[in-house]
Amino acid sequence: MTTAVEKVNRRDAKLALAHLFVAFTALALGGFAGLLQTLVRSGKFELPAGISYYTILTTHGVLLGLVLTTFFIIGFQFAAVSRTTGTLSDGSRRTGWVGFWLMTIGTAMSAFFILTGKASVLYTFYAPLQAHAGFYIGLALVVVGSWVSGFAMFTHYARWRKAHRGQVSPLLAFMSVTNMVLWLVCTLGVAATVVFQLIPWSLGLTDRVNVLLSRTLFWYFGHPLVYFWLLPAYMVWYAVIPKVIGGKMFSDSLARLAFILFLLFSIPVGFHHQLLEPGISPFWKYVQVVLTFMVIIPSLMTAFAMFATFESYGRSQGATGLFGWLRKLPWSDARFFAPFVGMLFFIPAGTGGIINASHQLNQVVHNTIWVTGHFHLTVATTVVLTFFGASYWLIPHLTGRVMTKAMNRLAIIQTIVWAVGMTFMSGSMHFAGLLGAPRRSAFSTYGNSPQALEWIPYQIAQAVGGTILFIGIILILVIVINLAFFAPKGETEFPIAEAAAPYERAALALENWKLWIGLVVALILIAYTVPIIDIIQNAPPGSKGYKLW
Amino acid sequence: MAKPTTAVRQTKKDEEPALKGTLASVFLLGFFIIFAWVSVYFLFLHRL
Repeated sequence: MTTAVEKVNRRDAKLALAHLFVAFTALALGGFAGLLQTLVRSGKFELPAGISYYTILTTHGVLLGLVLTTFFIIGFQFAAVSRTTGTLSDGSRRTGWVGFWLMTIGTAMSAFFILTGKASVLYTFYAPLQAHAGFYIGLALVVVGSWVSGFAMFTHYARWRKAHRGQVSPLLAFMSVTNMVLWLVCTLGVAATVVFQLIPWSLGLTDRVNVLLSRTLFWYFGHPLVYFWLLPAYMVWYAVIPKVIGGKMFSDSLARLAFILFLLFSIPVGFHHQLLEPGISPFWKYVQVVLTFMVIIPSLMTAFAMFATFESYGRSQGATGLFGWLRKLPWSDARFFAPFVGMLFFIPAGTGGIINASHQLNQVVHNTIWVTGHFHLTVATTVVLTFFGASYWLIPHLTGRVMTKAMNRLAIIQTIVWAVGMTFMSGSMHFAGLLGAPRRSAFSTYGNSPQALEWIPYQIAQAVGGTILFIGIILILVIVINLAFFAPKGETEFPIAEAAAPYERAALALENWKLWIGLVVALILIAYTVPIIDIIQNAPPGSKGYKLW
Repeated sequence: MAKPTTAVRQTKKDEEPALKGTLASVFLLGFFIIFAWVSVYFLFLHRL
């Protein structure tokens, strides 16, 4: 049995770094596609060589929503597990590499079919839009690869627990395992629709597809996907940021309880994405909306814990007054500044989420570009800025380098550029959405209808924001390449915070996985069994596939 | 035995962090959520 070390083992570091490289490559390509999209939607630019808007839209969504996030998260979690529970065994590491290659081959396969125009079905790949089978097979490989990596983490964690009976596991390892359990359970839905519905249908083995069932299985996965993105950001907020600022974690137990609540309540809630979908009974939509609102509890617990961490630190440094503690925070340290800005953006992001999930309010914003603005705040600002902030210590830690002052300054500038660009882009998306501008669609004046003409200034603002954000992408790539290959050699800390109360010991019940997974399964069965039986039994004739691009 | 207990209580009380700013922050956050939610709700009512 290996023991915990301060530094991630060199071989484990290689595995984590491989994931991060794919993630940042996806950011470069997907970010460029995003820039092109906002330019096209401004109405002032047309794509050359007959390239379809929907091809670049799919490229953007898949590369950033699915590839950047999944690769970064798994790489980060391998590093976190190795750092807190000791070097991976050779078997676990090998399994991790198998997972990595499955995911990479799957990504390359899907990307090939998207870029050759055979899979312009957007990242939600809603039937009856039909992509080439290779696109779905590639996605299935990505999911299977992530499961393999998840099992590598589970076995490593189980080994640690066996060797440390009666002890509470390190917080970051507990959180990584919780996130992978969440991922494993929720990806069963998307795997089911891809393997049993979409692949046979795209290969011509079946003629028709049950559209509502495939969308329901997608959203069974699609909402917890958001939490799969968010929880690693919360890991950084809870377990790393307090150390970065020089303070203590407000409460270890609160952090663990929040993660368990996310695990329980983020899966049986997919219907709040389908509130305007005919074919699902209002009662079951109501049940899932109630469960959705339960997720607000751990989100607000997290907000409270963050404020409390910052205030406790500020006051320990002599801060006075109601908000004097804000002045004591290390604003010039990019490892803190980038995630902090991410946290600030989560206030409107979370609020927008509550609006989306409220049935009546959903009718105002459903399928409008408000929703696009919303998830560009959640994943593309809160999550991504936290990932950038984590990269500023994680990459040099793994490569045996140190971040220079110049790079730190550039990282501060990068954060500001991102915040400004996103304020323009996401802000105008929100307002245009309230005026009825649709999401997902290319530029059109809809026959010069007065309502559509109202949206154009907002679409130009989106292009301005998108251009600023692309500058932000160039800056982060410069920083990442520097930290990986050119920064001075040295030792960088992998910061892990201690709890404010040293006597605090989290309840072992929080690691009773049989109990929590049992409850997860029970909640899913309650929320989904009856409506899914109904969707299958009372299905209209299925739909043929359409290729509308 | 009353004295030490009081002393312990006193120490514990002193150790409680002052979190007035946190309280104010979470209230501000709550007000923002309510304001935004109600604004869109009125938009919904207006369009009925």
